[in-house]
This record gives sequence, structure tokens and C-alpha cells, in this order.
Amino acid sequence: MKLIKTALAQGFIRCHDCGYLIKSKVQCLCPICKSSISARRHQNLHLTTALIISSFCLYIPANIYPIMAVTELGVTARHTIAGGIMVLIQKDMVPIAILVLVASILVPLMKLLGITLLLLCVHYRWQVNVHLFTRMYRIIAFVGRWSMLDIFMISILVGLVNMGGVANVIAGPAATAFAAVVVLTMFAAKSFDPRLIWDHQLT
Amino acid sequence: MNNSPEEDIEAADITLSKKPELPLVWFLPIIALLVSAWLIYKSAAEKGAIITINFPTAEGLEVDKTKIRYLDVDIGKVTAISINDDLKTIQINAQMNSNATDYLKESTSFWVVKPQVGLGGISGLGTLLSGPYIELKPGSGKEQLHFTGLTVPPIMKSHMDGKQFILETNNLGSMRPGTPINFHGIPVGEVLSHKLSDEANAILLTIFIYAPYDQFVRKNSRFWIDSGVDLSASADGFKVRTGPLISLLSGGIAFRASAKDTPADIKPEHSLFQLYDTYDQSTQITYTNTLKYVMHFNGSVRGLTEGAPVQLRGIPIGRVTDISLELDKKTAEIHVPVIVELEPDRIESINDPTNVSDKDVMEQLIKKGLRAQLQTGSLVTGQLLIDLDFHPESKIVASDNHHSDYPEFPTIASSFEEFTHSAQIIMDKLAKLPLDKLTVEMNKTLASLQDTSKAATGMLNTANGTLATAKETLGNASGTMKSANQVLGNLEPGSTGYYEFHKMLQEFTQAASSLKQLTDYLEQHPESLIRGKDEGKDD
Repeated sequence: MKLIKTALAQGFIRCHDCGYLIKSKVQCLCPICKSSISARRHQNLHLTTALIISSFCLYIPANIYPIMAVTELGVTARHTIAGGIMVLIQKDMVPIAILVLVASILVPLMKLLGITLLLLCVHYRWQVNVHLFTRMYRIIAFVGRWSMLDIFMISILVGLVNMGGVANVIAGPAATAFAAVVVLTMFAAKSFDPRLIWDHQLT
Repeated sequence: MNNSPEEDIEAADITLSKKPELPLVWFLPIIALLVSAWLIYKSAAEKGAIITINFPTAEGLEVDKTKIRYLDVDIGKVTAISINDDLKTIQINAQMNSNATDYLKESTSFWVVKPQVGLGGISGLGTLLSGPYIELKPGSGKEQLHFTGLTVPPIMKSHMDGKQFILETNNLGSMRPGTPINFHGIPVGEVLSHKLSDEANAILLTIFIYAPYDQFVRKNSRFWIDSGVDLSASADGFKVRTGPLISLLSGGIAFRASAKDTPADIKPEHSLFQLYDTYDQSTQITYTNTLKYVMHFNGSVRGLTEGAPVQLRGIPIGRVTDISLELDKKTAEIHVPVIVELEPDRIESINDPTNVSDKDVMEQLIKKGLRAQLQTGSLVTGQLLIDLDFHPESKIVASDNHHSDYPEFPTIASSFEEFTHSAQIIMDKLAKLPLDKLTVEMNKTLASLQDTSKAATGMLNTANGTLATAKETLGNASGTMKSANQVLGNLEPGSTGYYEFHKMLQEFTQAASSLKQLTDYLEQHPESLIRGKDEGKDD
């Protein structure tokens, strides 16, 4: 059993900016373009971890606080994400409820858990199904922006439904937290170096 | 191979690109943690006590929807509704905000706000759309977490400027919490509550007068019941007085200030006032300086009531306070002592010698001939009043009854009494008439009259028959006339009949003249009847 034969394993680093191949194993400056180069973005693991922890912190208020306050004929109803899903189910709109459930609860949660899993995997050098993990990373990186669906919907509603006492929608504190979660997880996915999964993997 | 220079660069760069161990990025989770911690703390801090309220019914209340509000600010919401163990009331659990803790005292009251339509107006219309909510009125006392909700909203929903006063009355009537209080027709307050006085002989109404009108509740302010139609029949005749329409429908209290009062006379809060039953009562000035007299009237005092006015030349100067019936068991005499209360202050005095008391003045007046007399105040109602006037010729007739505590006021018979007396005499005379005999005679006359009448009827019948015969006769006559007419028609000039008739008449005339000649001849020669005509001699 031996490690996968990567560039790093052969003692090379490719400059991110100019593509110059340097025979080095540690972080250094590119002799051509003088940019800081490193074999792996190890430093970014800190960034990813910090972003993920922030996301976890914000994920809690995003789910326990009302995401929007709907005023209808003078009656103000505040809805959390879960409460909104319950209302949709009660009103026999199960497909939409499932959509909201997936987009607003499951996807962010899966993203958080997935990136956490990746981080743990890299940190503890677990032997895992590397192909599966890489695919998971790709999916997380791709799906991230779609979680903003909720935020878009709320911002459109706030803008459109503004008829004073008859009907009015106000974004709640959870909307901010939720948007922050989505943005932070997007950055976390972006900052994660998927090559790290492949290091330390025995073939 | 030229490995060495690259290795040199590498060696040189390793130290250069060294970065701090803990990057700034770790501030991000700390900030996120702080933000969410602050959010959670805020929401936890906003949550105040959980209270329970008992209500008779949960009509319109909904879990998580029904709010608890004070002055239209949400300060809590219903979190659970359950039925109490007694199966008669319900209990709601409510999560209050932390800032509501100050309101949760012993006397804090809760009630459900629903749309209400009443005579006083419409309230809670907003709840038609939003559904009912629970309103709170902050109270005082110890802190408490269990409350019993009110079934009707309290009158004073929030603190308002004004003063509370107490009204004393004998009859609650149509007054209830919320009954308006008018001041010159302006609604300036309302009845808050009513309770029986400790001795249960009066009803104490707690009323609230809003500022700035509370300053008009002064020493001589009078409150009266202004409800409905006040129809009073007194010695002065009929009187109809109505309050505002709303009072007419739902009752009301009115008050007015006295012109005598100055702002210095403004009454403090919780002062006691008398609530008069009618406007008239409230207008009567109560004089403290009174003189009481007893009057004895000879006749009936029917129509004289307590409170009937005592007038001097038509101006009321007092009233009747008591009428009783006394029986002297020794002499078997019945007295009707009428106690009157005279208010000498009503009479303005001129040339007032200070040392003469009112009583002395009154005695002087009595000596001058001031007498009391019963008079009919109103012919319609038959109410009596006592009129004082000077009758210098009349004597002071003291009654035998001296048991009264008050001095006696001399009386004279009333004009009505005199009239009654003369009427009595006439009636007596009428009673003395021999009515029985008269009746018998009358009966007889009537009987004969009846007979006559019968006879007349018979005669009339006969006359009827005669008339019928006459009618027949007339019919016949009519026939005869007709025939005569015909005959006459035949005798018209020119007709054959007429000619013959004429001829016949001529012949008849000739016959008559020959007959005349014969009779003449017979007169001259009567013997010719025997011997026959002497033909020679005759010619």
C-alpha cells in the first residue's frame, strides 16, 4: 500500500498564478511571479473550519427565530422555517412544503455536515471512499448557491407585499442568520482544498 | 542538474512566508457565536413569567395566536388552553414578555376584548378581523401569576385624569357601571361601581368625573338621576322633563354646579354627594333654619301629601313634613295633625331688627291674622296645598290637642270645605223630600197615561180603516170623473152629441114653456081640470 502518486508526493508545487513548477514541499514564494505558493492550502483549513463553526452558530437562530412576519388584515403572524413548513402541510401544499424543507433545512444542514465530515476526514486522515467524498464536495460546492432561494423569495415578498395593514411582509431576524449561513457555507466550500482528501489516502 | 539554486530560494523563502499560527479568520466564528448568543439571550430575556388565567369560556381564543395586550401593545401570548378540573371554566397559559412583569399584580385584571355593540357605542371593531385578544389592566398589590379573568371589561380601562366621587341614593334604578354622567349635557364621567352601604340603607355609587370637569364638582354641586321621562304630578300640575336621548334609553346621572361656589370649594376625591331622584328634588334648596308647626284641619285632608307646599300668597315658604291620624281615646275625637316645616329664610326681610327671632315674627304674623287654609292646588290631580293668608276677622281656634311637640298654627276652613258644606246642606234638603209618595203618584199617572195611550192606539187603527175606505171612495170618484170626462168629451161643440143635446135643450125649453102655459091656464081656470078646456072663452 502506498500513497497516491500526486505532484506533492513527487516533490513539486505548481504556482497558482503563473503555473511554474517548483520542486518544493513547503510553502514558499514563486521565483517567477513572487506569489505565495504552497503545495496544499493547509492554511485554508483554518478558514474553512472557522466558517463552518460560524455557520453552525448562525444555523441555530436561523431555525428558531421567525424568518418572516406576515401581516394579514391587521393580524401579524410570525413564521419560523419549520412553522412555515407546517402551515404549508396544513394547507395541503405538500410538494411546496417538501421543496421548502429540502431547500431551507436539509440542504444547509447537509452542507454543514458534509463540509464538517470533509474537514474531520482531512484532519484525522481517515481512510474513506475518496471518490464518494470528492463527489460530495462537488455537489456541496454546486448546490450552495441554491439555498439562497428562501432569501430571494423573502426579499421579493417584502418588496411586493407592502400594503400597510391589509397585507405586509417583514423579514425576521432568522432571515439574516439564514442568509449568513448560506453565504458562509459557500465560502467554506470554496476555501476547502479538495486535494487534501486525496492526501494520506492509501491506494 | 541545477538543483542547488532552487533549494537556496526555497530555503530563503521558508522563513519569509511564515504566517502567524492563529489567523484572523477565527474571529468570524467568535463573532457568529456572539451574535447568536446575543439573539438567544435577547429572546430568553424577553420571555417573562408564564401566567395562568381562568375564564368561563375560551370563545375565540387560540393557542399561539391570541395576544395579551395593554394599550394595544403586545405583552404576551396564549400558549395553552385547557379545561379546569371543575369542568366549568377554562384555564389559559400565557407567556408574558419580561417587561410585563410589573403589571402582574394582585389586582391586575384580564378580560377578552370582543366586538361590542351597545347603546354607548361600538368598541373592539378591530377584533372582528383579528380575532379577540386579552386585555390587561395593571393593578397593584403583590406579584401574582394566577388570575381570574373578568367576564365584562372594566369601565376604567386605563388610567385617566379625573376624580372619583361617591353618590348616595336609595334606589339603583337603571344605573349600572358605565352609566354616563352629564354636565350641561356633556358626558363628563361614568358610574364605576355600586355597592350597598354598610347598614344596607343606601346604595353608594362610585363615579368617575374626567378632568377638567372634575373641578366643577364643588360644595353645592347637585347630582340627580336624569334617566328616562320624568313625569311628575304635583300641586303645580303636570311636568314632563327628559334627559338626553342616551339617558332616556339607558339611564343617566346629571349634575350641575352652583353659581355660589368658587374654585376654592372644589371637593376632594371620594367626597360624598346625595343623588336626588329627580331634577326637581335637586333644585330644592335645603334650608337649615326651619320652624315647625302643627296644623289641625277640620275636614278631610285627602289630597294633601307629605312634601306638599306651604304657600304664602302663592310663594312656597315651606312644606308638609308629616300627616298623621290621632284618636283621643277619652273623648273619642279624631285629629289630623299636619306638621309643616316653614323656612323663614325664604322670606327676605326688610327693616330687620336683629333681636327678634323668626318665631316671634311668626307669632306676630299670626296675631295679625295669618291663617292656614287647605286649597286645591290642581283640579286635575286633586292635590291639596296649604295656603297662608291674612284673615284678620277670623278667630284663633285652638285645638284641644296639646300633645304635639310643635306650636299650633291656626287654621280656617278652606273655601272648598265651605263649598262642600253648602253642598251637604242642599243634599240634606233633597233627602227630606217625600220621594216615596211622589213616586207612587207618578206611577199612577204613568199607568193612566199608558191606558190613554192604548186607547189612542185603537182610535188610530180605526182611523186607518176609515182612511182605507176613503181611499176606495176616491178611486170610485176617480172612475166617475173619468166617465164624466168621456161624457163631456161627447158634448164638445160641433159634435153630433152637442147638436142633439142643443136640440134636446131647445125642445126641453119649448116643453117647459108649454108646461108654463098649462100651469098658468090651470091657475086661471082650475075648473078646466074637471070640465075640460073652454075653447071658446079661452081665445
